[in-house]
Amino acid sequence: MPTKRAAVADVHAPSVALPLQFILTGIAALLAASVWLVVRPIILAGYHYSPEVLAATHLFVLGWICSVIMGAMYQLVPVALETRLHSQRLARWHFALHVTGFIGMVVMFHREDMKQVGHFGSLVAIGVGLFVHNLARTLARIPRWNVVAAGIASSLCWLSLSILAGLYLAAAKCWSFSQFAPLAQLHAHAHLGGLGFFVMMIVSVSFKLVPMFTLGEVQSVRRAGWSLALLNAGLAGAFVTVLLSSPWKIIFALVVAAGLAFYGLEIISILRARKRSRLDWGVKYFLTALVLLAPVLVLGVVLAWPGLPANELTLQLETTYGFLALAGVVTFAILGMLYKVVPFLVWYASYSKAIGQSKIPALADLYSHPLQAAGYWLFLGGLLTASAASALGHDSCVRAGCVALLASFVVFAVNIGMVLSHLVRPRIEPLIAHSALQTNTRPLP
Amino acid sequence: MNEAIVNVDARGLEPPQPLVAILEVLSCLPEGSELHARTDRRPLHLFPLLEQRGFVGETEEQHDGSFVTTIRRA
Repeated sequence: MPTKRAAVADVHAPSVALPLQFILTGIAALLAASVWLVVRPIILAGYHYSPEVLAATHLFVLGWICSVIMGAMYQLVPVALETRLHSQRLARWHFALHVTGFIGMVVMFHREDMKQVGHFGSLVAIGVGLFVHNLARTLARIPRWNVVAAGIASSLCWLSLSILAGLYLAAAKCWSFSQFAPLAQLHAHAHLGGLGFFVMMIVSVSFKLVPMFTLGEVQSVRRAGWSLALLNAGLAGAFVTVLLSSPWKIIFALVVAAGLAFYGLEIISILRARKRSRLDWGVKYFLTALVLLAPVLVLGVVLAWPGLPANELTLQLETTYGFLALAGVVTFAILGMLYKVVPFLVWYASYSKAIGQSKIPALADLYSHPLQAAGYWLFLGGLLTASAASALGHDSCVRAGCVALLASFVVFAVNIGMVLSHLVRPRIEPLIAHSALQTNTRPLP
Repeated sequence: MNEAIVNVDARGLEPPQPLVAILEVLSCLPEGSELHARTDRRPLHLFPLLEQRGFVGETEEQHDGSFVTTIRRA
């Protein structure tokens, strides 16, 4: 007996152009940031509180990570939560504000003009306001509230707080009114964005995407819920204690660790119960990113330890911690998901109307699997080399690692270019023999 | 089994294979028949394509967590 009927008329995803313009902007920013690191390895080999590091970090974080996550969210949230995007028009305004804002911020950070950083940051903030409003209105109409929706809502709250904290930081630099230590404010702002928006979003959507791509199911909704609750509680406490430079931050680092441990257990359970034994490269990229959460977590707990001496090594480890989290966990997870999302978007836009009527390529024919494998190993080699060299403050080895990372990103861009070529020139051929009815039907049990 | 009903079991397939399986069968669906497609997830991307081809579909969730979409000519 059926249990529920679908209200399918109100379900659809936005046009392919909307997510793709965010994603392509993100890839351009990723390549630019990687070239910057190759040319100026001191960004990773030196201390992280400098105008150049802040400029490069915001190119990476706003230009690459935020652009891609926001573009993907406009596509995934309506589909994953079975509803309709509130407004594509608002999303297009968001794109214009976001691109203008982040490029201006990067330039002004580099020029050490904090007043203009605040102005361009305000454009980014208005864009984020439109993004959050758009997704909040979309979430408000979902038929069933679940752990994925709760996680996405949490990440949107943390994103908003992160942007407000960033504007506060810029204003405090201009008018010197803040009573908090500048470095503590910076670290608190970074954790709101990195852990609150990026990691929370990755955790939330993976409860939908990992089962979808491995043909499995969430094994324990309660465990998934606990992982989100602990992450939220840990981050709230970590934000306050980092801001106040309190020794109690270790407690909240451990709460975050507990949340991620619950998450890891749930992902392992999903993978053990999956129906698809072979994992493709996109899923391998994503799962490797999740494995990289472990060293980031260990570094985070070590750096939160009460009474940790502030020497050359521990200060460099702060840089390594941020690099491994953003370039390792978040970037690898995004690359993996883009290898799933972009081919599907392009395939659907180019070929869905011809299914059953013409000969069309399979989804996996849109990109090169050897290039995916090459990109994976270049990325891992580059990341580990650059991370170790960053901890040791070794310029040349940072450059060597970043060259490998850049090569990996170029390989990724080439592969995505191959996928996008199907949008420009679809490979549709006449159907020669048609025996679909005989080959694809199976009786329902 | 009713002769006017064609069944497709597209469970255990990764997207977009369920879409392909359903639409390929639909392209040679006999006049007067309806298609019952069982999938692991609600086939959200299917509905605009059904509309373009002159079909309508309605999805019902089953007790086992799968979904059955009934498709007929509009």
